Amino acid sequence: MNATRRQVLMFAGGSAVGVMFTPAPWRLITDTALWSENWPGIPAPPRGEIHTRFTNCSICTAGCAVRARCVGDQPVELAGVAGHPISRGALCPFGIVGHHLPYIPARLKEGPVGQAAAAIAGGLAKCGPAEFVVTLDLQPGRTASWTYRRAMGALKNGRYIAPSVDAQVAVDLSKARTVLSFGVPVLDGWGTPGIVNAARAGFRLIQIDAVESRTASMADRWFRVRPNSEEVLAAALAGRISPAQAADATGLAVAEIAALAQELEQGGPVLVLGSSQLESTVGTVVARHETPVPGEWKKSAPVTDLASLPDRSVRVLLIDESMPGGYLQWSAIARKLVADNPVVVTFAASPEGYARHANYALPVAVYPEVSGDVPPAIDSVASTFRIASPLVSPPSGMVNPESFIATAAGLSTGDTLRERADAIHKSARGAVFTYADGQSQPLKDMKPDDFWKVLNAGGCWIDEPGAQTAAKLTFGTAARPPEEESDLPLAIVVARETASGIPLLSKVYRESNLRLAPGYVALNPACGLEDGSQAIFETLLGKATVGVTLDSGIPPGVAQVSATPALLDLCAAGARAKVVRS
Amino acid sequence: MMSGRSIPFLAGVTAALAAGWLAFPRAIYRSQPEPVNFSHKIHADKAGAKCEDCHTFRDDGSFAGLPALDKCTGCHSAPMGTTSAEKSFIDNYVTPNRQPQWVSYARQPENVSFSHAAHVKRAKMACETCHGNTGSSDTLRPFQIDRISGYSRDIWKTPGTSHGMKMADCVECHRRQGLEHSCLDCHK
Repeated sequence: MNATRRQVLMFAGGSAVGVMFTPAPWRLITDTALWSENWPGIPAPPRGEIHTRFTNCSICTAGCAVRARCVGDQPVELAGVAGHPISRGALCPFGIVGHHLPYIPARLKEGPVGQAAAAIAGGLAKCGPAEFVVTLDLQPGRTASWTYRRAMGALKNGRYIAPSVDAQVAVDLSKARTVLSFGVPVLDGWGTPGIVNAARAGFRLIQIDAVESRTASMADRWFRVRPNSEEVLAAALAGRISPAQAADATGLAVAEIAALAQELEQGGPVLVLGSSQLESTVGTVVARHETPVPGEWKKSAPVTDLASLPDRSVRVLLIDESMPGGYLQWSAIARKLVADNPVVVTFAASPEGYARHANYALPVAVYPEVSGDVPPAIDSVASTFRIASPLVSPPSGMVNPESFIATAAGLSTGDTLRERADAIHKSARGAVFTYADGQSQPLKDMKPDDFWKVLNAGGCWIDEPGAQTAAKLTFGTAARPPEEESDLPLAIVVARETASGIPLLSKVYRESNLRLAPGYVALNPACGLEDGSQAIFETLLGKATVGVTLDSGIPPGVAQVSATPALLDLCAAGARAKVVRS
Repeated sequence: MMSGRSIPFLAGVTAALAAGWLAFPRAIYRSQPEPVNFSHKIHADKAGAKCEDCHTFRDDGSFAGLPALDKCTGCHSAPMGTTSAEKSFIDNYVTPNRQPQWVSYARQPENVSFSHAAHVKRAKMACETCHGNTGSSDTLRPFQIDRISGYSRDIWKTPGTSHGMKMADCVECHRRQGLEHSCLDCHK
């Protein structure tokens, strides 16, 4: 039988209609979608017996307890630890995906270790009497920080620099009825998620912010002030200037300021965050006991700040940026370096920080590869000692900054974490939380070896609570009045959410505006630029290419800048900027 | 009345329906036999075994899943009976101490983390709720895997139940129980 073309077409048409009434096309669509989720190259966790390990997250100083489900040596899921006395089962979005951190493609994977060691030795030999060898520690308070202090103490001209953080002062959110926050991201990565969540119902949050930050949007009251005028408002609330003067600077009405002052008077105890003008009510700020260290460690270099060093005096600068922490602007550091061939070595996981300026950038292990302690968080009323026990092995070629700096300074060190654990045990203070039974027991009832074993299994030592104090807390708010350059029309507000520079949750950055992505600037939609476009961000300190995010929560005349080192280098306190199409 | 000119069209419809409903389901799955013709029924009836006797929970509460050989050799260190299946099992696995490579009908994709402990220990759910009548089966049916997605056939529809093991099935059950959870409770 000969089929005509018409019959063939009729048959094909019938087949096309018929197949729509079968599961085949719909199933193929689903299957193809599922297949596309498992393309070659997409990392897949190994299959096998799942076992549980415990550690502490060291992405920030909250140091939340982590329960890791592992297949073999590979963590496949991280979660909080219910019943933990500090983190209380909570884990932030960064902490939940923290096991992805070692696999960030942009990670620093190799560095000139031998050359850096030789350059440091050369710099030490060349160091003149008025010159210094400096270690800059971005996350002070760790056991490694003590090693740096000891190493610098062992050198004649050694200095230990840390961002201005008083490690012994903490806030007690549970005692506050009102929290007055000057731009501090209280509800967005500032403290320990578990502590903040637990205390949230007990305090009224008043947020002073120039932009509609996530904390501002979740606060009980938000006062939108002009950028960099927060301290003026604080001065008015402290009675140092009149409400009328503050109204001019902040853009708030006189009546609003007066009402706020009255509200604070009646809403005590008040905890003030982010202002050097106002003091918190006694009881909301606590002076923690120092976490014990071996006696011989005390013979070490004191903690100083960068400003205390004369300009052009630093011959060798060693920077530990292996743990996220405060960032000092490079221009401020560069001023302190000697003019002729200073040696700058940074220990970093990312090429985005000081590695851009250093002579040598040496790669380091990251969480959860690294073994180190996490300093107590700002909202922990008691000192703590917890170790981020490694869940995976670091790749070869990683440098341990602690032992590298100690060796460079000729300091012989042993297992410093164990030595500190023994010193804590000797103090017989506080209690130890163990995961085996989810219980706390007094440290004095535990043997040193058991204590060490518990710490390495993710346990946590918690000291007795510190005494209440009336100390002020400052968090580096704008201290200088804004510049008024006419060709720089935008006031800068830095997005200070903790860990915003960590290259995790990149999908969130790319596909939503939930967080300002690293290297991005948020502007008011009326700025004339397109959302997602590239632009040139320019201040008096230089310019950089940025991505643009349009956000109606940003008022006209303001640029909210992500806390990326390259952008922070351009943003002095009170600085202004312009953003133009590239 | 249907004209002769419609016959090719109807033939096309019929062929597509036959291919879509009969041939496609066979073609989309690849079959893989289980290593041993295991009878849940015999073990339950004659040995009085319960699910959790072989599919155990570890001391830390996590689910051990499919039993390893040492669980079998507790009883089968020597042949128990004269069946060919028993002889084959002893010869191929027990004597050479070789682990049977069981395949799991209920295997979830890589991005899912399912807690048996939460469902069995905490919610007191019966194994049959999700796994259907597997526990009373006399033979092990072949494991069928989707050639494109790599998913088990049971994910779409579990024999002996009215549901599968897709996310939608989990969500539906949780909603019925008034339980709402976040993505990361299940997804790695």
